[in-house]
Amino acid sequence: MRTCSCIYESEINKENKFYTLSQNTAMADDGSGAGSQVALVTGGYDHTIKLWQAHSGVCLRTMQHPDSQVNGLEISPTGQMVAACGYQHIRLYDLASANPDPVVNFEGITKNVSRVGFQKDDLWMYTGGEDWTARIWDPRALPQFSCTKIFQVQAPVNAVMLHPDQTQIMVGDQSGIIHMWDLRTDQNEQLIPEAEASIQDIAIDPEGKMMAAVNNKGNCYVWSLGGSAPHPVPLKHIVAHSKYALRCKFSLDSTMLVTTSGDCSAKVWRTSDWSLLRELRNETQRWVWDAAFSIDSRYLFTGSSDSYARLWDVEKGTLEREYCGHQKAITALAFRDQTV
Amino acid sequence: MAGEDFSKIFQNKSIEEKNRIRDGRLNQPGPSKGKDAMGDISEEDVEKEIVTRFDPYPDMDDSEDDDPLCDSYVRNDPGFGGRYDRNRTNTGQWLDKKEQALKKAAKIKIIKWEDSSPLTADQLAEAFSKCEVKKPEKTKSLLTQQLQNCPNLPHRQYLEYAKFDGTAQLGLPIKSFKIFMTMLPEKHQNYPLVVCVIASAKIKDLIGFTCYKYSIEHPDISLGSVHDYGLCIAEDDGEVDWAFPCLDANEPCSKFGFTCLGLIELKNKTTLCPAPMPIPEDGMSGAFHVFPKAENSSHSNQNPSRLNTGDSSTSEAVISALKALNEGEPDLNKIQSHIMATEAPQYKAYKVQLLRKVRTNTSVQLGISLDRIEVEPLVTNKHAFWSRSKYFLHSIDSVAWCQILETRGNRTTFRIVYSPSHNATYNDRISTGQNTYIFHPNTAYKIQDFETDHEVAKEIVEKVNTILDLRNSPCRREYKTAKDKKLQTRRSFHTKHLS
Repeated sequence: MRTCSCIYESEINKENKFYTLSQNTAMADDGSGAGSQVALVTGGYDHTIKLWQAHSGVCLRTMQHPDSQVNGLEISPTGQMVAACGYQHIRLYDLASANPDPVVNFEGITKNVSRVGFQKDDLWMYTGGEDWTARIWDPRALPQFSCTKIFQVQAPVNAVMLHPDQTQIMVGDQSGIIHMWDLRTDQNEQLIPEAEASIQDIAIDPEGKMMAAVNNKGNCYVWSLGGSAPHPVPLKHIVAHSKYALRCKFSLDSTMLVTTSGDCSAKVWRTSDWSLLRELRNETQRWVWDAAFSIDSRYLFTGSSDSYARLWDVEKGTLEREYCGHQKAITALAFRDQTV
Repeated sequence: MAGEDFSKIFQNKSIEEKNRIRDGRLNQPGPSKGKDAMGDISEEDVEKEIVTRFDPYPDMDDSEDDDPLCDSYVRNDPGFGGRYDRNRTNTGQWLDKKEQALKKAAKIKIIKWEDSSPLTADQLAEAFSKCEVKKPEKTKSLLTQQLQNCPNLPHRQYLEYAKFDGTAQLGLPIKSFKIFMTMLPEKHQNYPLVVCVIASAKIKDLIGFTCYKYSIEHPDISLGSVHDYGLCIAEDDGEVDWAFPCLDANEPCSKFGFTCLGLIELKNKTTLCPAPMPIPEDGMSGAFHVFPKAENSSHSNQNPSRLNTGDSSTSEAVISALKALNEGEPDLNKIQSHIMATEAPQYKAYKVQLLRKVRTNTSVQLGISLDRIEVEPLVTNKHAFWSRSKYFLHSIDSVAWCQILETRGNRTTFRIVYSPSHNATYNDRISTGQNTYIFHPNTAYKIQDFETDHEVAKEIVEKVNTILDLRNSPCRREYKTAKDKKLQTRRSFHTKHLS
């Protein structure tokens, strides 16, 4: 399996040798960007993707995302690439180079792609979109062996989330159904937490023990996974927001769940008792579209409609940094931290 | 793309049509010309002549045609005569663009969606094997470490301007400027800052973005508020053109054609360009009959060009003349005081150093006459206008005091105390700056300290004091009274305590 991912990487590297070289000289010293270590990437309605130096708030690079807003961003497991999905487009950008254009374009989609993610060894990529499908893409595109897969549902797909065991994808759609798609058997199981409420996002904690989903009514549902029961067991229902919820994410230590919403706030919940730990609000921030925790679960990034991304100290509830540069709303962000 | 398809359709149609016409012509037996004449016309010529209704107009060569072959034809064809140049540039540009787009596209790997054939059990197991989910270890975050190492971010105050960055904007018109940071000390002036903003940004946004960019590149240099700065037209070498006002902060920068601009401090702008100002003529001629006005004095030494007289050449000449007259018993002190009294009202300029608390001392010309004291910055380096101090003009009636402070070596510092509130006519010219308020809470006195040679300092202080005593203005009287009172209270305080 490792060899497969190596082939993919080396192929990419071969193709972009020029960029990789130029990057090494350009970004060797700032400790951010690429081979780097800490990378914050944001994208939104202004058709650009920006790479930030997270600790200083300085924008290092702007990448072009023509013809579409950015619905979702995900940094590849190696940290070399960032995947962006939007209307009719899924693109891979090389974080390690100074190339403002994508290096890989995935074609054949006619509608909005809402989410993108990677298998943990970079073997394949998964997406979900408004064409009522979830898909597995094989970026290697080898003629002899391709592991592409498609999963059809009965409504536009808003959320896809890969289980940490890498064999199951949770597909949340606008009709309010969560399909648990087993990649090995193509069987699926359905969960309907609330009738006539569109599923907006799904999160599974890094230990694979909890699954959370938020819907357009602002409700958050939590299930426990992988217990003695073979199916998810409802754990908690939180009335998280008064309006549209947009994202939910667990912290790496599984002690916190963040939900973001159209009510202009991001809320951090304790997973121990599901009490509210922090409500992160800013007068100007408007809709909060996306969020990401730092690796030590101490900091949280949010991206919002006022075109700012923000960094919050979760413990103190203080605003630590602001990232300004986008012309329009930030609708997606991805963060990759590094251990020391 | 629809456009592409149509052009191809038309191309094919025109080829078909041409073939049809050519076949018709070739097969048509010429009524008079016969075979010989026909032999002269090669097939190519026929083709050239035949223009079908599907052929593009020659003018449309630089249209949105997507076939690069078409244009290479246009580019190499010298037969376009007068229109050749225009066509070449337009088409050339278009070709370059096209070439770049193609190059760009060639670098992007395209992966098309393909439904795969069912995978074998082995392949399935390989691609979708189950991973063991481990509890992530508690780790230290590099981000946290970096945040701790970089607590101060000077550019944060200008953050809101970051969004005007013009680099890597998609589809937005942009504009680049060379900005000279003329308000900074000379050592930070080596290179202009090249900034690129979106064209719709206003001048104030450009100022803000310039501050933002500069503070990122030079976090050690602190800049002031965006509202304190203005942008002026500058030469290529950074010399600001002071004759023009600052660009209107509310206008979009796309409106201006200049690419070299100087960032200046707004308060410098007003003091550095003194407009010709009226000097009050009345009020003194009546009061001081004894001393004719410097301007009218027959032996006036007024120097309209204000030459720097570092030494007191005039008085020396007079002294030597008097010496010659009274060779027997030269009472120099007496003579000098006499000279001082007679010469005091005359305009005289001295080159001295203006002492400043914050920045370096600057050379100024101190011009003293019966009715005013001027502090005019001397330009040693024509680029160094940031180190120029402001231009001051004190009415002599606003000057309250002048004294020597201390002597170090052959350098002596002296102080002029003045009150802006007594300076009604000049008030708006005088800015606060580094001056400190002393004494009376109602009447604010400000000080200016200067340094020069001991002899010159002595001469200046004596000259000023002579004039002050002559005029005995309300300002001076108030100051003296306040000073005496203060001395007395101090004394009485002491005596009370002692007794």
